[in-house]
Amino acid sequence: MAQEFKLRLITQRASGGDPIVRERHVAEPQATIGRAPDNDVVLADLSIDPHHARMRFAGPGRVAIESLEGQTFEVGGRRVSRAEVDLASAPVAIFGTYALALEADEDGDAVVTVTQDDHERHLTPSEFSLKAKMFGRRTMAWTFGLTILVLCLLVPLVGAEIFAHMRIHPDQQWSAGPLSKAHGFLETDCKACHTNAFVSVRDAACKACHQASPDAALVARAQDNSRRRGSPFQPVLVVDHGRPDLLLQGTPSPPDLGGRIALGFAKAFNHPTGRCASCHIEHAPPHGSGPAADKPLRVAAQTCQGCHTGLKDRLDHAGHQIDFGDAPSWAKHPAFRVQLVEETAPGRFTAIRTAFRPTLREVSGLNFSHQQHLDPLGGVTRQALGLARYRKPLDCQACHQPVAGGGYRPVDMPKDCGDCHSLAYARVGGEVKVLPHGSESLALAAFERLSGGGGGNAVWGGSDRQRPGTIAPTAGSAPSASAMAAYRAAISRGGVCFGCHELGVPATGQPDVHRVKLNNSYMPKGDFNHAIPAHNEFNAQHAPAAKCEDCHAAKTSTQASDVLMPAKATCEKCHAAQPQVAKELAGGTTCETCHSFHAPGRASRSPLMERPLEALRWSEAAGKPAV
Amino acid sequence: MTQVGGHTERVRQRTHEGFLRYKGFRWAQFATALCVLAIGAYFVTATRLGRPPSGNSWLGYTLGTVSAGLIVWLACLGVRKRWITDHHYSLKAWVSAHVYLGLSLVVLATLHTGFQFGWNIHTLAYVLMMLVIASGAVGIWAYATLPSQLSHNRGETTRKQMLESLEKLDQQIHDVAQPLDRHGAAIARLSIELTEIGGGFWTRLTNRHGDCANRRALEQLRALPSSASARQAEALTKIEELMQQKAEVLALARRQMQITAMLEAWLFVHIPATFALLAALTAHIISVFAYW
Repeated sequence: MAQEFKLRLITQRASGGDPIVRERHVAEPQATIGRAPDNDVVLADLSIDPHHARMRFAGPGRVAIESLEGQTFEVGGRRVSRAEVDLASAPVAIFGTYALALEADEDGDAVVTVTQDDHERHLTPSEFSLKAKMFGRRTMAWTFGLTILVLCLLVPLVGAEIFAHMRIHPDQQWSAGPLSKAHGFLETDCKACHTNAFVSVRDAACKACHQASPDAALVARAQDNSRRRGSPFQPVLVVDHGRPDLLLQGTPSPPDLGGRIALGFAKAFNHPTGRCASCHIEHAPPHGSGPAADKPLRVAAQTCQGCHTGLKDRLDHAGHQIDFGDAPSWAKHPAFRVQLVEETAPGRFTAIRTAFRPTLREVSGLNFSHQQHLDPLGGVTRQALGLARYRKPLDCQACHQPVAGGGYRPVDMPKDCGDCHSLAYARVGGEVKVLPHGSESLALAAFERLSGGGGGNAVWGGSDRQRPGTIAPTAGSAPSASAMAAYRAAISRGGVCFGCHELGVPATGQPDVHRVKLNNSYMPKGDFNHAIPAHNEFNAQHAPAAKCEDCHAAKTSTQASDVLMPAKATCEKCHAAQPQVAKELAGGTTCETCHSFHAPGRASRSPLMERPLEALRWSEAAGKPAV
Repeated sequence: MTQVGGHTERVRQRTHEGFLRYKGFRWAQFATALCVLAIGAYFVTATRLGRPPSGNSWLGYTLGTVSAGLIVWLACLGVRKRWITDHHYSLKAWVSAHVYLGLSLVVLATLHTGFQFGWNIHTLAYVLMMLVIASGAVGIWAYATLPSQLSHNRGETTRKQMLESLEKLDQQIHDVAQPLDRHGAAIARLSIELTEIGGGFWTRLTNRHGDCANRRALEQLRALPSSASARQAEALTKIEELMQQKAEVLALARRQMQITAMLEAWLFVHIPATFALLAALTAHIISVFAYW
């Protein structure tokens, strides 16, 4: 029996359901496959040649498939142009989208089942939507979000220590702005100031380097701190304006709504006002694109008048009994108070502040008449005219010598008075012996040497000067009778000391030059700059300038106990309380002209604060602060 | 507008009219009032601060808190729009507020900066926010102008019809190409199998399909030497006609895709930049409070 091909063509319905099956017999031992309609197996696929291949029996149960025009087909997963298959193994030949499954039937014929793998994709209107293969919205969103979270949050949070050596410090991106040059060395040392996370910068961080103190050890520690952190500059050392509790309780509530809201915010965010950082702002933007400022930006969190209006009431209310007056304006500035030295008990001197009035007296232990020394027709003037040092009547500067910074050095008796008031008390071998001034014990020692008594180590004609701090050779032993007699003579009427020193000469026991206690500062809570030309007739290059006598009534003072200080009205002659006059006469005068914030007793010309940054650079010689 | 394909288009058209004008510009008025209030407060308080204005003042904190809250709320639109609610217009109100309050951030956040900018995380957050707002503004422009272009472009044809006619034309080419020899069939296959309607992101946006397979097939077809067989010649003529028709439908569909792409492209900036902004905002807030 001739072998033949039985064809089963299976077509899937487009609407689904049972496929259409058509069967046909090819009454020949071979069958052609191709796209052309004259083939036995017509495969309507454009990838198939019109006459693609031929099947023929190649033996019992075997079929050979051969390409007719060189186009390949697929059998057993391989592209071939000729294949011989065993029907028993149910081979499948693939032509384009068609699969020809071959099998033998019981008659030995080949049954060829033709099916089409219809995987045609139908487009849907969603095809019109924009999609990106690589950069989908969701992918990009998560990528960018997580990248920023890692680089800008996690790395600075946990990696600050690890990456600290890197050129770009991971924390740097968190900085709101550059630090001033003075603090530039802390640019990568955020924790120097921001000591605790989520806590605003506290004063302790600032004071670690900037706390002024009378204690040299504390000052040295502050400076060491600054150096250790790498500061190229010596820190400006300052003290607080006042006790922290007083500052806190004395600061008024803001008068305006904005201020109250600000205060509410400050409290809510644990961001106290009145900190160093409230006035000294870091990370402030430089002007334009200019370089960073030299020092932190200084702003006024409060005005002087703002706090010093009703301040006494507030502090009284808070339970602080402090003796001071409010100063809501210059017009209402309290009367000047002077600080006088009083001997409250024998040998005990106390400084007492009291309102100034012309009748005030201060017992200094000296006899001195300014009037006598300044009288143009007096004997002092006549004597001065004859002295090579003066050749003119005495003026204030003859005794009160100015020093740099606007002050005066204390009067030095031997130097300033010695031309007229000799301290010579003996002539030994043609040499005039001069009594040491300022120390009773030194004077006694000098008399001891003169009389040849004492501990025996005194040398005639030797130096009567002692090293500071050492006591006369007779220390520890009572002065000899002859030395005491000489001393008594010196302090008695006609003696060398008499005249200037008020004497208390007891009938018995050790005589006593009345203790002298001179006042160094009559107005320690405010400052007056004697150096500026308008304040000083000696400095004035151009008129007008205040004369000494405008403020100090020395020309009419006949007693050393006169307090030659001016009242507030004296200042008001120029610094009038009326604003417009004040502006004309003394423009720019503010509270700080006399009272520096950080040192209320000093004017704001505080040299260290105002020194340019470069002047603060450490040098080998600048081991100590110039406070 | 046809009944079948026009439904979604029509709803969108109505929505885009609606969200800008919602309730007589209620949210536009609210946002404007917010901006005027912020500007007023800024100029009144900035002069009294005694220091350069910054986010570090009480007004800075207020503006910063409001801005950060707004940003988070605005970002929630992505969540809100996925909820199906009974209130048909609530999403429209939401979108309206999203648009106007989002625009008001330009004022609020700029005032919050106190005009201090630098190379830091804070300015990065600001720049990202401005990028989000700018891309959103492009989105508003797109929604206001492009739907009418879409409608105008497709005329009476729906998208579905465009795709169906392309498939139909492919089927016809396939059928007509059956008598062709291998070379002719390959040309037909080129058009049927390799023609991409849309293409990638930029191809869609620019609508430049220089290597369109259908066009290449048409060129190759025209370059074929005249066929000996009359049947083949007839088939080729028919195929050329069909490919020509296909090119026209393609042009229409591709222009439709381009407009759709322009309508949607801004979201490819808006959404990723929003996520980046939320991350930068988190870093900004944490860093400010950690080191303050």
